[in-house]
Amino acid sequence: MDDWLNQCIREVKAGDTEAFAQIVDAYKDKVYQVAYRMVGNAQEAQDVSQEAFIRAYTNIERYDVNRKFSTWLFRIATNLSIDRLRKKKPDFSLDAEVNGAEGLDGYAQLAATDALPDEQVVTLEWQASIQKEIDTLPPKYRAAIILKYMEDLSLQEMSVILDLPVATVKTHVHRGREALRKKLKKW
Amino acid sequence: MKHSDSIHRYFDGEMTQNEREQLYRHLEGCSECKEHYDEVKKSIALVQSASHIQAPKEFTENVMSALPQKKKKRTIAWKKWSKNHPVLVAAAVFLLFMSSMTWLNWTGMSGGEMAISGVGNFEVDQESNTVIIPEGEVIEGDLTVRNGDVDVQGEVQGDLTVINGERYMASAGQVAGNIEEVNQVLSWLWYETKELFSNLTPDREE
Repeated sequence: MDDWLNQCIREVKAGDTEAFAQIVDAYKDKVYQVAYRMVGNAQEAQDVSQEAFIRAYTNIERYDVNRKFSTWLFRIATNLSIDRLRKKKPDFSLDAEVNGAEGLDGYAQLAATDALPDEQVVTLEWQASIQKEIDTLPPKYRAAIILKYMEDLSLQEMSVILDLPVATVKTHVHRGREALRKKLKKW
Repeated sequence: MKHSDSIHRYFDGEMTQNEREQLYRHLEGCSECKEHYDEVKKSIALVQSASHIQAPKEFTENVMSALPQKKKKRTIAWKKWSKNHPVLVAAAVFLLFMSSMTWLNWTGMSGGEMAISGVGNFEVDQESNTVIIPEGEVIEGDLTVRNGDVDVQGEVQGDLTVINGERYMASAGQVAGNIEEVNQVLSWLWYETKELFSNLTPDREE
């Protein structure tokens, strides 16, 4: 995987655009997932993740081969997501009702994909409801929870991605976890 | 609140086996902590169950078509580089002009007509493009031939220079001075440079 990836990166640096398509294919789901969980709806998630890949491409010279590529990519995607959230109105207030419309929007877009079997609809509904709860977290706690529990990253990696000390990342995980606990205990 | 701290440590995966066993024992007797523990556990499970969504179809194609042109980027990089290295850029431009001039001279010449400079009785064979110094003839000064071959059967007392041509020597032929053949662009350049400097030296002809 690493050899393959390094080869691709070398080719991209040498000007081979096709090699970049392979990188996008390999990482699109992970990047899209982070973006989707962060911004909370499909349209913006697509914008953010697409922009993340474009930035990775234009800044490929700055990527240090000795570091983990996915960490670098996640950092770009997370920063873009947080920027996007900051520009929007603070719709991550603790009032879940306000977020109902937002979450519904994401759900509607997810569910709009053709006619799906009942189980899949239920899964989508389930996913959308959890997303609604995640959407209510402030961005920094949201990022911590997503990277830790959805991407399974270590505190060290999260510290690089979020550009925060490990201790701060840990505090964000704790607060995010507590906030979610209170929201999800009624489930 | 001490217990909630230990619950955090538990879920951070920082507890030793011993501490974990202690916590389990405590949870059996403390319903408040047990509830807290179960709630955290449940919320983590819920969040984890919500993962694994996929990028939309044609995502890669969309990214690829939105990529900026690499050429554009190259120009920017080149501009930056040239701003930082003005001397190198000047040197490169100079070299470019120099080499194109030399190249023009060279190519212009090789396609051109034969030119001979020198004084004496030599024959010119137009068909084979050859300058012949017949047996018994003596060229007292230098002889320079461009775009032609030289067949020396007699004698050249000065230097013989053949540019873009070949030199044949008959066994009886003789050249007293230096013989120089210039057939490559580089040696041509070298020859021109040498000529320039020896012309600048005043006592060469004397």
